[in-house]
Amino acid sequence: MYWDRDIETMERSALQRLQCERLAATLERAARAPYYRRLLEKTGVADVREPGDISRLPFTTKAELRNEFPYGFLAVPLTDVVRLHSSSGTTGNPTVIYHTKADIIAWQDLVARCMYMAGMRSSDVFQNIMGYGLFTGGLGFHYGAEKLGAMTIPVGPGNSKRQIWFMREFKTTAMHILPSYAMRLATHVKEMGLDPRTDLSVRMAFVGAEPHTEETRRRIEETWNIRAFNSYGLSEMCGPGVAFECPEQSGMHIWEDSFLAEIVEPDTGAPVPDGECGELVLTTLTRTGTPLLRYRTRDLTRIIPGPCPCGRTHRRIDRIRGRSDDMMIINGVNIFPLQVEQTLMRIPGIGSNYLIEIHEENFMDRLHVSVEMAADSFQGTLSQLEGLQSRVLAALRDETGVTPVVKLLEAGSLPAAEGKAVRVVDRRAQSGKGC
Amino acid sequence: MAWHLSVFVMNEPGKLEKITRVISAAGLNLRAVSMASTGEFGVVRVLVNDPDRGLEALKESGFTAAKRKILVAQIDDTPGAMHGLLVELTAARINVEDCYGFVIEEGKRAAIVFEVEKFPEAEKAIAGTGIHLISDAEIYRL
Ligand SMILES: [Zn+2]
Repeated sequence: MYWDRDIETMERSALQRLQCERLAATLERAARAPYYRRLLEKTGVADVREPGDISRLPFTTKAELRNEFPYGFLAVPLTDVVRLHSSSGTTGNPTVIYHTKADIIAWQDLVARCMYMAGMRSSDVFQNIMGYGLFTGGLGFHYGAEKLGAMTIPVGPGNSKRQIWFMREFKTTAMHILPSYAMRLATHVKEMGLDPRTDLSVRMAFVGAEPHTEETRRRIEETWNIRAFNSYGLSEMCGPGVAFECPEQSGMHIWEDSFLAEIVEPDTGAPVPDGECGELVLTTLTRTGTPLLRYRTRDLTRIIPGPCPCGRTHRRIDRIRGRSDDMMIINGVNIFPLQVEQTLMRIPGIGSNYLIEIHEENFMDRLHVSVEMAADSFQGTLSQLEGLQSRVLAALRDETGVTPVVKLLEAGSLPAAEGKAVRVVDRRAQSGKGC
Repeated sequence: MAWHLSVFVMNEPGKLEKITRVISAAGLNLRAVSMASTGEFGVVRVLVNDPDRGLEALKESGFTAAKRKILVAQIDDTPGAMHGLLVELTAARINVEDCYGFVIEEGKRAAIVFEVEKFPEAEKAIAGTGIHLISDAEIYRL
């Protein structure tokens, strides 16, 4: 039931002591990186004696990671580094994270712990439908699954025919997949005359890398007749393996032996109490190559108060509600893309693919939502289509407080992305996006 | 029971042409087409000689489509015949939801395709009128 019983079920007090020790070691290591050396000389490491003192340190943001390109956050000699992962920066420098051999081993173990917790075993056949390469999702799960001992098929994303071929030939039982692609792949399975619920052996999926709603997860589970587990990670930490759902499927255990989590108010940086929503801030506790202190993830979530029935003592974070920089401001009203998704997925007859566009019309912002209808729910009448369109409009207006322009589309008519789905396009002359 | 096909189309140039292309590529006989639209999107009705194969072909080509039950009445291809049919349907208290027609034999026979709300009742009600319903096998042979 547990991959690492001692760690996963550790008493809270012991876990806090462990965090304390590891934080001290992390500060020492961090001080070897040029950026943190300068910072800690000013702030004084001596002031931080326990996790509660960490708020005395300033935050680290993506901007600093970019500015310090390439080696400002490197805390070990380059010869100790065995791999780097980098986010593709379309503007400015990319962010680069350096991993030592110890970092890679710790990361593998975390991902194996996650997959084992969800119920994967060495007898499973694991198909990794995620991008390999600089993106951490593919390699992170790949090594985690091998560490766990499951036969791993490193097929990567795209090419639905090939995905389905592997699933049938090798009786894939577990897959790692983007939530948007999970729904599209099921459509391809049906187009081949197969029923994803009964004609395949897949029993579980790990879904992540794209924030998605509970409604989308349930749709994935129903469409495939599987259990889908939410995965949380970010390349600045290690990638996947930061937090993961247990069989209870109510929140993701954040591995507090490896990360120190805070939730802060995005505007002021002030801590918010457990249970309240804010931005997740993480400090690495074991990393050696690129230790990060109080890293602003931009991801909005909350700590779920109370213990989990599964027996693990590590606290749970809620499903990510969006990124603080994803928030759309439509004529002064704050709307998160996931609110739109959640609303759409609750409406029967609506497909899983949608696109949000923000236009400027007569100096006013206008929210446009294009959504596909579910192919098999079409009954053939115009009145059904009109009814569906007005239901979508009313539901979105009730949820967001703004009246959108709703466009109902044929199933499969929105462009299918190979990677992460593009859900929001801001077409305003001066993009008013921000937080 | 006879069927026609109903296809969801967004109003874009070339949509109808794509439907007829798919039908003809599937080797099917297209007997009649009609369209209802709101301006943004619409529904195209297609009467073909093999509705199951037609539906499959359309779905394979990515269309959102469905099969709908229809009744097909035969009338004389003469002025006033359509009105006569509607008078009979109204007298039988049948609410027509969708309807279109096509000529079978110029100046002699025409067919009127319609969807009605309650099928068995409608068929029974029509039996008592002077309306001649075309049999399923005959519809697909037209
Ligand atoms: Zn749990």
